[in-house]
Formats: sequence, C-alpha cells, structure tokens
Amino acid sequence: MTSKSRRRRIAAILRYAALTAWAVVAFFPIFWMISTSFKPDTQWFAWPPFYFPHPPTLSNYLNVWFGAEEYAATQYAISSQKPLISLMNSTIIAGTSTLLSVLFGSVLAYGVSRYRILSETRMFQLLMLRMIPPIVIVAPLSLYYSALGLLDSMTGLILIYFLTTLPYAVWMTKSFIDEVPREIEHAAEILGASRWRTIFEIVLPLIRSGLVATFLFILILTWSEYLLALIITKTQVTTLPIELSKYQGTTEGRVYGRQAALSVGITIPLIIVGLIIRRHLARGFSFGMVRR
Amino acid sequence: MSVAAVPAASVDLQRSPRALSRRRAIRWFRWSILGPLIVLLAVVLMPVLLLQLYFSFHQWSVYLGSWSEAEYVGLDLFGEVLTDPRFGWAVVRSLAFATGSTIGCFLVGFALAFLMYKPFRGQALYYTIFILPMLTVPVVVAYTAEMLLYQSGPINDLISRITGIEFKPMWLTDPNIALMTVMLLEIWNWAPFSFIILLAGLAAIPKEPIEAAEILGASRWRIFWEVQLPLLRPVIFLALVLRFLEAMAEFPKTWALLQGGPGTATETLPVYIFLTTWQYFEISKGAVMSYIVMVMMIVIVLFAIRLLRREKRSLDAMYGQAAREAAA
Repeated sequence: MTSKSRRRRIAAILRYAALTAWAVVAFFPIFWMISTSFKPDTQWFAWPPFYFPHPPTLSNYLNVWFGAEEYAATQYAISSQKPLISLMNSTIIAGTSTLLSVLFGSVLAYGVSRYRILSETRMFQLLMLRMIPPIVIVAPLSLYYSALGLLDSMTGLILIYFLTTLPYAVWMTKSFIDEVPREIEHAAEILGASRWRTIFEIVLPLIRSGLVATFLFILILTWSEYLLALIITKTQVTTLPIELSKYQGTTEGRVYGRQAALSVGITIPLIIVGLIIRRHLARGFSFGMVRR
Repeated sequence: MSVAAVPAASVDLQRSPRALSRRRAIRWFRWSILGPLIVLLAVVLMPVLLLQLYFSFHQWSVYLGSWSEAEYVGLDLFGEVLTDPRFGWAVVRSLAFATGSTIGCFLVGFALAFLMYKPFRGQALYYTIFILPMLTVPVVVAYTAEMLLYQSGPINDLISRITGIEFKPMWLTDPNIALMTVMLLEIWNWAPFSFIILLAGLAAIPKEPIEAAEILGASRWRIFWEVQLPLLRPVIFLALVLRFLEAMAEFPKTWALLQGGPGTATETLPVYIFLTTWQYFEISKGAVMSYIVMVMMIVIVLFAIRLLRREKRSLDAMYGQAAREAAA
C-alpha cells in the first residue's frame, strides 16, 4: 500500500512539473511583452537582455497612446499613429458586427433547433463560410467594395465580419437553445404568443448567459482579425491590429517598447473577455461534439 | 421540403384547418429567417465569387485602366500558375506548415488535457494560464516573437543560461528554420484550442465504462487505449480538422513577422497570393491562384465535414441509445 501511495505522490509531482513547464512557456512571451512596454529605450534590445524594466517607465504608453511629444524626442517618434481613434473604430466595428452576428445567428439557431429550417448538411455547409481561407476572396472583395463605395468604411468591414462569424454564432447559440425545454414554448404558443415574441421574450432571455458567452467569443475573433482589415481599411478607418502593423515598416528602428505598449493595450481587453467566458470556450469550439 | 419542417407531433392533425394555418405560419417563419440570409449571400458573396471567376479568365493588371477592358485569355493563366514552381512550393509549404502545427497543437493540447482532466489543486489557475496564448491577437504574437527571437534576444539568452551551452540559432533570418519558427509560434498560439476541446471531451467521458474496466482488472494503459481513446475519437477529429483548416489559412503571423522571407522560406499559400495581388499587382494571377486554392480547400473541407458528420452521427446514436435505455 505504501509503495502505491508513494507512486501516486511521484506522479503528482511529475504532473505539476510538466504543467508548470508549459505554463512558463505559455506565459513568458506575454510577460516579455508587458515587461518591454515599461522599459526605457536603451533596454529594448540590450545585451544581455533586461528581464525587468529598470527603472520602469510609462513613456512608451504616453507616447504611443497619447502621442506625448516630450517622450518622442528620439528617432523613434511616429507621429502618424492614432491608436485612440483605432481603438474607437475597433470597438465599434467588432462590437456591431458581433452583435449582428449573435442576434441573427440566435434567431437562425432557434429555427434550426425547433423547426429544422436548415438540415444538418446545410448547417455544416454554413461552416464552410468560416473554413475557406479569407485570402481567396479579398482581392475581388476589395474591388467590389470600391465599386460600392464600401472600401475604407466601417459598414464594409462590419458586413464581412458579420458574414464570416455567423456560422460560429449559429452553432454556438444552437447548443444553448437545444437545452431549453420546449414545454415553455408550447405554453406560450397556446396562450397565443407569436413565434417572434416567443423567441425574443422567452427563449433568448432564458439563454442570456449563453448569448453573452457567444458574443464575447465572437468578439475575440472580430477584434483580432487582420487580413480583411488590412485590405479593406486604408486611411479613414483603421482597426487596432492594423495600427500595430504600421510598425512593420520601421523595423530598422526597432521600436520594441512602443510596439509592446500598443500590444498590451490591444491584448488586455481580449484577455479580460476570455477569462470571463473561460468556462464556455469549450462549447464555442466543439460544434456539438462534446456531450455532458 | 417544408413538410420535413413540421414537427412530428402535428402529423396526425394534418388535415384540420388549424394545422394547415400552423404549417403556413411555420413556412412564413422559415422564409423570414432564411430570406435575409440568402439575400445577404447573394449580394455580398456571389458578386465576389463571380468577379474572381472573371479575373481568372481575363488578364488584367492595375496599369490597364478599367477592369472591364481586361483581355480574355482562356485557361492560359491556369497553365501559368500550375507550372509556376513558386506556387508549387507554396502549396508544399502550406501543407507542411498546417500538418506540423496541427500535430504539434494536438500533442501539446492532449498532453495537457490528459494531465488535467481530473480535479486537483491549482487546476483553475493552470487552465487560466494555458488559455492566455489563444487570447493574444495574432499580430501581437508576431511582434512579440520579433522581440523575443532575434539572435542575441531573450529566448536564446535564456536557453543558453539554463543549459549552459551557447545556443544561437537565427530563428528569423535562417531560411532553413524560419518556417519552423512560424510553426512553433502557431503551436504556441493555438495549442490552447486543442487543449480546451480535448479537456472538455475527456471530462465528458462517462465514468461507468472506465470503472467497469477497472473492476475487470484492466491496466491503466489498456483503459486509455481501449476505453478512453475510442470514446474521445470525435473530439480528436474535431481538434485535428479545425486546426488544420485554420493553419492552412494562417496569414497574420507569417506576414507580419516575415512577409514570406527570408527569401521565400515562409512563403505559404496565403502569403504568396497576397504578394502576387498586392505587391506585384498581378490581380488575375492572384485570382487564379485563389480559385485553385479555393477548390482545393473545398475538397478538403467537404472531406472534413463528412468525417465530422460521421462522428457526430455515431455520437448521436450512442447518446440516443443511452437515453432510450435510461427511459426504459
């Protein structure tokens, strides 16, 4: 018996060791990003590397986010950056397209769940919208958009984000709607409520937390989208990932601290969102393959 | 078509006027939802696909003025692309990248999930840390990687210090390892995805068959191979298939970090299409490549969907049977 308990203890230690090792791998780049964002410019790529900022400074944040000139007296100053406007753009674009996607997706999901308005085959085909790489349509899309005057506009980006995230919205909200007992709807129907009223006043409120989870899940996708934003937005409307990618042309200058300060600002909202919905993440990804 | 939409319960009432009006209402309901979707697809997606088709058969570049003047060249462009060795290499690279990173994500995700599916102290903390990479925006991953991976950068420094050996690979500038570097980044970025669904899958496996096998004296190894793994198969498929498809489409990290370089070392399909269209302005060639890639991906996706559906069916059957037995 004692040898068994000893074996168990060793197994537990090994498990902690393995998990901790990956935790370090997973966290180190994020730590480095945060650390660099507080470093003064002499420590951005010093050798040997500074693991902690010494002394920590806020100048990167002040310069990148608020364009504070006094901190930008070096060659690293990039005056054309306007991250606060991008932050607003990103919020509006990601927020609106995600909201549309969840709203329309949940109604569609209700129809699928209760009336099978899409067969299982169609449901999987819907996923194709998501699974075909977006690169194959960006060129004609940008021409089409420029003909419609949607290039460099929020509407254009919202529209295409809405379409490409719709499959996830439908699949995810359907998994929540499937769990709502139908008796309540039957009761509502007998009392004379229309289907639309049943959806908006009974079913959707019942899956409130599921809708929030779906919303935040899709927000992660739209917030970080890069390729479509890169092509469709030019100068008027830029999202945060595009704002960050403007540093690409300046790699000679290696403005690591500034990049890091911007990166932290882009990442923090997503990490907060992700931690809020961490219990629901599995559902967003599993497409009905995980049963409980 | 609409008959199938009527729930089975109302079949016996089919003739009554009430049931008829109900059927009509459901049909109306159905089209008021599907209608907007179809209109949207027809207005946004159809013209895009048609334009793509047009450019595949018409040679046009931005220097030519209006795109409607493009010259009809038939299948010439397809011939050009299919004999372009650079395109061939891009296909090979993309497949290698997607395969490698899919397997990597799966191995890491599975190992972590297997170590974590039973409750233990600190589980929630580890879970939280493990999902962080997935919540990092891909472009941010690329720029952070640049800060970490230059030759005298922190990663090489750290590894040298820990092992005591001079460790100085040129992660980003050595053409022989650049693609592998991006692959490692992809694994870092997306192993959490595999981890999350495999963990959910492992935790959802019913305990009874495992307990039964234990009572019958099966070793842990046999339980793993003959009970847990088969029950987990649908989730494993899902982890592999979705990851592979996403990896085939990977663009932000590869582009923001290396733009296909050094040389053409990281020129995957999305990067090559992007370069052709937006740097060389060969719109038509880009369109042809897009078409080829699209057809290729549709074939892969249809195959993937077949796999997933088969797994879902067997799952449905299994759980349906379990539910019936529980009811009986």
